Amino acid sequence: MRRHQLLQSQLSCGLQEAYNVPRISGRASTSSVHDVRYFATLLRGVNFVNRATITVTERGLTITVEEARTLLGTAFIFCDIFDEYAYHSPNPPVATSQGSEDADIVDNVAFEVPLNTLIECLNIFGTAGPASTTVSSSSKYKKWRKAGEDSDHDGDDEHGDRGRSVAGRGIDSYFTGGSEKRTSMRMTYAGEGHPLTLLLAEDATGPTTTCEITTFDPEPHLELDFDNSRMVLKIILKSSWLRDALSELDPSFDKLTFIGNPPQEPGASASRQKQKFREGSKPMLRIQAAGTFGSTEMDYPNDRDVLETFECTRSVRFSYRFAHISRTLRALQNSTKTSLRIDEEGLLSLQFLMPSPKPKGASGQSSDAFIDFRCLALDEEL
Amino acid sequence: MRFRASIANVSTFFKIIQSIEKLQKKCIIKFTETNMHVICNHDANEGGIQVWSQIKVESLFTGYRIQSNANNEITMAITSEALLAALKSASSSGASTYDTEEVIMKLAKKNAQAVLTFEINGLTRVGRRVRVSHDVKIEVLRPNDVARLNEPMCPEPDLHILLPPLQKLRTVVERLKLMSDILAVRANNNGCLRLSINTESVKVDTEWKDCANPKTQNGSENPEDAPDPNLLFTVVVHIRSFLKFLNSHVVSTTTIACICQHHCMILYVYIGDVADAGGVLTFYIPAIINDEM
Repeated sequence: MRRHQLLQSQLSCGLQEAYNVPRISGRASTSSVHDVRYFATLLRGVNFVNRATITVTERGLTITVEEARTLLGTAFIFCDIFDEYAYHSPNPPVATSQGSEDADIVDNVAFEVPLNTLIECLNIFGTAGPASTTVSSSSKYKKWRKAGEDSDHDGDDEHGDRGRSVAGRGIDSYFTGGSEKRTSMRMTYAGEGHPLTLLLAEDATGPTTTCEITTFDPEPHLELDFDNSRMVLKIILKSSWLRDALSELDPSFDKLTFIGNPPQEPGASASRQKQKFREGSKPMLRIQAAGTFGSTEMDYPNDRDVLETFECTRSVRFSYRFAHISRTLRALQNSTKTSLRIDEEGLLSLQFLMPSPKPKGASGQSSDAFIDFRCLALDEEL
Repeated sequence: MRFRASIANVSTFFKIIQSIEKLQKKCIIKFTETNMHVICNHDANEGGIQVWSQIKVESLFTGYRIQSNANNEITMAITSEALLAALKSASSSGASTYDTEEVIMKLAKKNAQAVLTFEINGLTRVGRRVRVSHDVKIEVLRPNDVARLNEPMCPEPDLHILLPPLQKLRTVVERLKLMSDILAVRANNNGCLRLSINTESVKVDTEWKDCANPKTQNGSENPEDAPDPNLLFTVVVHIRSFLKFLNSHVVSTTTIACICQHHCMILYVYIGDVADAGGVLTFYIPAIINDEM
């Protein structure tokens, strides 16, 4: 594969200069992140199988994890979440000499690492933990939300007020208590056969940690491309609506079914509000879970405050293993928005927007990372 | 054989027992006229960790009276968990329903069984007197058995270094435990302490600089054989043994580590201020001989 030719690329995300940590390698410019919590949260989102493939490109990192040839989880982390970021392409001439069939493949370097180990290393000082993020979200999802209590307030999101609410959440989630210590990191990868090197420190006077994580040649992953032209269902909703539904489900369920029906008068959006009382027989979106001990159904109302986007071309009904869907919960819990898409063959794509802790205005535009899950449907004939 | 004392500093006593409780089910406590020694020396201990401690009587007790045929010393084997439970109810924590006024510890015999009785006198919130009494079964050791208790033999340590706060160390070592079973502890005479693991999938080094190197007390230091201060001395230990030692973070103020290269690690956990030397818990952690680290 092409990847194997890329030898000396280097990625680094490092400590701020203030910490005055010596560079691991003089060859590359450095990049840094002063608080690894956001990075660690993204990694935890896909931490359901230990072996992960990290692909490095000019624009950022993707972390890909696969389970049972059915479920594929990918975290897209853009370079601007790092304070500094540098990628040195190992072989630019090769990229141009390649045929046109490679034109859409971005110049990259890939390697596999044990993801658990990477996360443990980031949390070596105990200050990359999920504590602050999960406390705020778990305290919320335990209780039922009353209409008008929180959802009204969050409903502002879609009216262009998103920046403010993301920043608010970001500060709550990542910067609770100004005195709290943070771990800063510099990460370097020198190319095939080299370990992934992390340099971690809490502050200038405290201890420093160096980690060298063994990397492996990447194994080819499942290719689950989502073709938008074959999409039959597309929903965008606030993550909390899906999170509340899925976290209610008992782990003993083994099958989860998504049922979608086209809205009954698709053209007349004004009359939708009134219709929702009459469409009991044909729900717009229903989540059905079944297991040895019973089954449960949850319907979503046809309400703009709940389903921000709902596109459905025909009646859809696809089932998935609940164990696979529940793998997405950790990412879901830390996300703000969810896009759920299903194509005609039942391939499910769940994308979670992970709010970045950086204030939008500070560093120009900062793109939020997102985590994408693809899951194949169960074969109903069996 | 008579023994009776009033525990003046219940919380320190509680913390001492708390920090050794995880080590082994039964520990040995030896009371002498001036000191209390808490000893954990069971061969069956995982990783062979041992504790030999010495706490001055006046830093824990008042009205301390002891009498025995064996040089006024009493040595007993006691279940550390039961002792901890008794001390817990004696310490007036926020959870208890009474405030402790006085705790008397005394040796007694009940139904031909030697016990250590803890009599706790307290006052409830509404001003009523309460008396709680705990009998902890003990086994008084015979003088011959006591004579056979010996501290492990160690060579002169290669290095002394003051450890960073144990709570901090513990956070790091707990992460390392998830990745490895053995830990290399390295230090030099220049204030550097390094904890490392090295496995197939990961190599992690955590380094503290600016730890102090205390001067050794026996002032017979020959300046000519002073080694290079940057030379690192290494000892490889079971990570779980090291964590057991780190349980003493509850009681520690100052901790000095001594490394006997490729032999053992000795850790002095000072209780209270070093200057006033209320007591010290000494942990011995034997080294694992391993060429890879």
